[in-house]
Amino acid sequence: MTSHRLPQGGLIDRSAALQFTFDGKHFSGHPGDTLASALLANGKRLLGRSFKYHRPRGVISAGTSEPNALVELREDGRKEANTRATTIELYDGLIAKSQNRWPSLNFDVGAVNSLAAPVFVAGFYYKTFMWPKSFWEKLYEPAIRRMAGLGSASKEPDPDLYEKSYAHCDLLVIGSGPAGLMAALAAARSNVRVILADEGSRLGGSLLFEKEEIGGRSGLDWASEVIAELASTPNVTLLPRTTVFGWYDGNIFGAIERVNDHVAVPPPHEPRQRYWRIIAKRAVLAAGAEERPIVFGGNDVPGVMLASAVRAYSNRYAVACGRTAVVFTNNDSGYRTAHDLRACGVAVEAIVDSRAEKSGAASGVRTVHARTITRVIGGKSVSGIQLNDGTRLECDLVAMSGGWSPIVNLACQRGAKPQWNPDIAGFVSPPTNGSLVAVGSAAGKMLLSECLADGAAEGSQYGKSLAVPKCRDEAFAVSPLWWVKSSKGKAFVDYQNDATADDILLSEREGYTDVEHVKRYTTTGMATDQGKLGNVNAIAILAEVKGKTIEEVGTTTFRPFYTPVSFGALAGPFSGKHFQPIRKSPLHEWATDLGATFVDAGLWIRSAWFPKQGETWLASADREVRNARERVGVCDVSTLGKIDVQGKDAAAFLDRLYCNTFSTLAIGRARYGIMLREDGITFDDGTTSRLSDDHFFMTTTTANAGRVMSHIEFCHQALWPDLDVSYVSVTEQWAQMAVAGPKARATLQKVVDDVTLSDTTFPYLAAKEITVLGGVTARLFRISFSGEHAYELSVPADYGSMAARAIMKAGEEFGIAPYGTEALSIMRIEKGHVAGAELNGTTTAADLGLGRMMSTKKDYIGRVMAGREGLLSKNRQCLVGLRAVNKADRIRGGSHLLKKSDSPSMANDQGYVSSVAWSPMLDQWIGLALLANGRERHGEVLTIFDGLRNKNFLGEVCDPVHYDKENTKLHA
Amino acid sequence: MPEQKPVRASPLAGVARPGRFGSPTKTPGVELSVLHPASIVTVIARKDCADRLRDALAKLKDCSVYWAGFQQYYVVAEGRADDALHRELMEQLSGIATISDQSHGRIIIRISGPNARQTLAKGTPVDLHPDEFAVGKSALTQMSHVVVHLTRTGKDTFEVSLFRGFAESFWEWLAQQAGEFGYRVA
Amino acid sequence: MGDATPQRPRSTDPAAAERWFDYVYLRSNPKGLLDEYAHHSGGCRSWLVITRDTQTHDIFAVTTAREFANKRNGVAT
Repeated sequence: MTSHRLPQGGLIDRSAALQFTFDGKHFSGHPGDTLASALLANGKRLLGRSFKYHRPRGVISAGTSEPNALVELREDGRKEANTRATTIELYDGLIAKSQNRWPSLNFDVGAVNSLAAPVFVAGFYYKTFMWPKSFWEKLYEPAIRRMAGLGSASKEPDPDLYEKSYAHCDLLVIGSGPAGLMAALAAARSNVRVILADEGSRLGGSLLFEKEEIGGRSGLDWASEVIAELASTPNVTLLPRTTVFGWYDGNIFGAIERVNDHVAVPPPHEPRQRYWRIIAKRAVLAAGAEERPIVFGGNDVPGVMLASAVRAYSNRYAVACGRTAVVFTNNDSGYRTAHDLRACGVAVEAIVDSRAEKSGAASGVRTVHARTITRVIGGKSVSGIQLNDGTRLECDLVAMSGGWSPIVNLACQRGAKPQWNPDIAGFVSPPTNGSLVAVGSAAGKMLLSECLADGAAEGSQYGKSLAVPKCRDEAFAVSPLWWVKSSKGKAFVDYQNDATADDILLSEREGYTDVEHVKRYTTTGMATDQGKLGNVNAIAILAEVKGKTIEEVGTTTFRPFYTPVSFGALAGPFSGKHFQPIRKSPLHEWATDLGATFVDAGLWIRSAWFPKQGETWLASADREVRNARERVGVCDVSTLGKIDVQGKDAAAFLDRLYCNTFSTLAIGRARYGIMLREDGITFDDGTTSRLSDDHFFMTTTTANAGRVMSHIEFCHQALWPDLDVSYVSVTEQWAQMAVAGPKARATLQKVVDDVTLSDTTFPYLAAKEITVLGGVTARLFRISFSGEHAYELSVPADYGSMAARAIMKAGEEFGIAPYGTEALSIMRIEKGHVAGAELNGTTTAADLGLGRMMSTKKDYIGRVMAGREGLLSKNRQCLVGLRAVNKADRIRGGSHLLKKSDSPSMANDQGYVSSVAWSPMLDQWIGLALLANGRERHGEVLTIFDGLRNKNFLGEVCDPVHYDKENTKLHA
Repeated sequence: MPEQKPVRASPLAGVARPGRFGSPTKTPGVELSVLHPASIVTVIARKDCADRLRDALAKLKDCSVYWAGFQQYYVVAEGRADDALHRELMEQLSGIATISDQSHGRIIIRISGPNARQTLAKGTPVDLHPDEFAVGKSALTQMSHVVVHLTRTGKDTFEVSLFRGFAESFWEWLAQQAGEFGYRVA
Repeated sequence: MGDATPQRPRSTDPAAAERWFDYVYLRSNPKGLLDEYAHHSGGCRSWLVITRDTQTHDIFAVTTAREFANKRNGVAT
């Protein structure tokens, strides 16, 4: 393997060598190289195998559009599949592997697919692998995956940091070529906030490889001066290595900055990639244009490359892509390649110009007109070509140019379709609402002077106008040649998907003629490059066979992302433990000290049970329940939603929110309330207390706290803004604990200051502001979810753990023990209290046995719709209790209820089990259920059918209150 | 029961430990401190009292008043006895505002230093450029999936207040974002 | 969060059954401009009424739900 590195030139640092490996072999390159340029410099041409036919493939482009040179980069948790060798910056120690070859790149078993080519034509998935069906899973799918898969993903966690950030600007400039630099410079001089983003490792765009002259200097020198000025201007942010991938509502742009992809391991605390959301008042799309391949026989053989890429490798990276080149072009720009190659000592055998007329471009190279290449000779590397007149030319490099496509992707991501411009034979950006404007060659301006002027004009809208420097223009004229019909061998339209011109024709013949159907049928335009090279050719070929214009055929839909974006970058720092925020109760520390096991409840983590050594969750919960029912227990209920409702109209407002009445509630008292939705279904429940005439303290369920707050805000702001009421969430201000059990009063009496807790001074449903522990503000409520004589005590959150410890200490002599959400749930089921499983968005208050709470004297949310016939029907499923006839049977949540002798079917369904619990007090599993006409069916024996476990047994319907129906304990 | 004066427990006790963290090579660009114990009181204008409330708030001494929504403010003070600010406002603003103590419900974190703005920009879509977000200005926004109240209290100084339950989770996020600049915890 | 045009009927209106159905369930889903509710739940918690083009997502006006309701009810603010 001999060196293809040119002796001089290029933007590489020859003084430093970077070592890297490709497929385990060691190579060397220089700072400034990409992986592709370094491999090409080392004479490495064969970089991958194609998707379907496993044909040898090499580098085609010098950038983002690369469909072939996809590699697995890095190893272990940092491995990234399908990365483009043409955009990977070389670093010392880089490790890459080729993909889609088995067992090795040089000898690939799958290449036999080429011989079986008729099987693999467009639509092969649908046709071949459909029958017999069972073969799909067992045989075809695994085989296809192995043969046709792209790179493989790592199964290890990615050890690197990813980050998200927002940025704001007056003008976002996307692309830092001549047009982008002019736009940014003009705006910067007007002192507005500018962000200049470019996907390249170095700013300058095409000026990094095209030999231009601007303002009497080289294009590169001019660019360097402009970039230096921008870098020193306040309010200008330069973002190299940043791909703007999406344009979204509100003129927000998504971008990925590859902060540390150019080093093996990011420095400590630095992210690998940063996901920017750029909020731009205006944006300029100066993304340039993409050169197209020509579709001809063997146009994928390693050594066939885009003409502009050949220039980029020689001018920017000092790499000669071959020794003897042939240029195949349908436009003037191909001549630049011939010129530049000769300048660096590469022989140019001929320019094959498909146009009959002479080009305006100078070349000094033998040029044949009105000729095309029909065949490329060579397998793993080009060794020659054959023209349509039969002439054979020896060469090892074919530089092709099928014209240029403005890069309009971003401008089309919000629904607008690009417009065909026949003068340049390319689609140009559609008119937009002005918030994103394409300039330069992205707008179809193909001359350098036009690009500079266009950029300057856009950037000068902020006040200062910018003089356009003089420059030399290269000729640009194009006469379309989409495909060489007389091609020998496969002529590829989409390299990555191995879609050929024949596939497009087949698709059309088989009736898939719409451009979107052709895309799906042939897979043209899919996968990582999204048809950056192939789409326009495919559209043109389709237009030709359909006898329509390119405009009539149109493009497929443009969507984000412009280039692939890693999941890591989209997730940012929010993965693993930080997937979502964790919300801790003020009693978390107290519960942790007592050995609690925690459970996720929305974002909250709540103490679920407090096991003693060796206890299972069930044994622990069983003990906690008994202790609360027989002695006294403490439970953290801080997560309940708590809303302070105040104002002259607070009572009137609550009357409209709840189906029952609160204006009649006495000061110092609490009341259980139910809110409905406007459609008459129950929404939430909770206890609300009146602290003073115009001050209420509302509680909601933990699960609905946020929704209730939003609902309250809606009702006040959108429905009744005339009410004098205000409300604020105080959920987090108060640590709240339930103290329940026969010894609850005795325990609390030791904690409160100056209050005697008796049935007269503090009766059931009393609610008062008091102090505890020698002066700590507190609120005490005599309410009960457990059915025991119970209280809920609120103290300011910072005192929560201290107060809970004090209660534990006070209750020590009574045998106090903490209980968690499991015991809480058991006790509420024993008492037939409804919770989320019953307030489930389908039940009415009447269904839950709470129909009498619905006032008939006032307007409230849900009143009218709750009176609908269907919601009053006698046959509705309503709340019942349920016990197994055989005490040993375990009722399971979700089981369905059937008449005793019915078999399970939808028609026979009578209802279902909504909540189940092991009842320590009844010594058996008990349930709450929603049963058709359930209230009238207490005592009926029916079948409980557990479809998941395919079990059924008999159960008896009973009152939902399983335990202490007379509430003797509550009032004890 | 105990006559010992109760001590407020910070939700970030044991989490926000003093020291120097993050990038070992850079001079710390961010300083983080937890303002605890602080007094924070929500004040909402009663109907047709917005102007009177604004005037009354302007006369308050030894505390800061931050916008916190429609005719709604946070009054914040440091070094007050627990509940003192709340009681004071109850007296002074009686009849024109709803007063609700949030001193325990919210925690305030101060972020300062040359990279403070960059650190916060990783979380909030609010434009923190000093021309757009000047000293004294507040915003209600989301950072790290948590709703926060953000105020610029100085050229390079911001205060974030949020529900105490999220404090630990938010702190971990904030510390990671400041990591690349290096940060000091006071 | 949905069309802001439907107006809540009074519960006490005996002939309002149809209007209630319309209010709770019927939305016209126009192509073009729509006044719709939005809730600034991650911020100041105001309900807003936004005038949005349902085709382009361009927003033409924003007002608070309060002002929208007051204007509709003929209340001066």
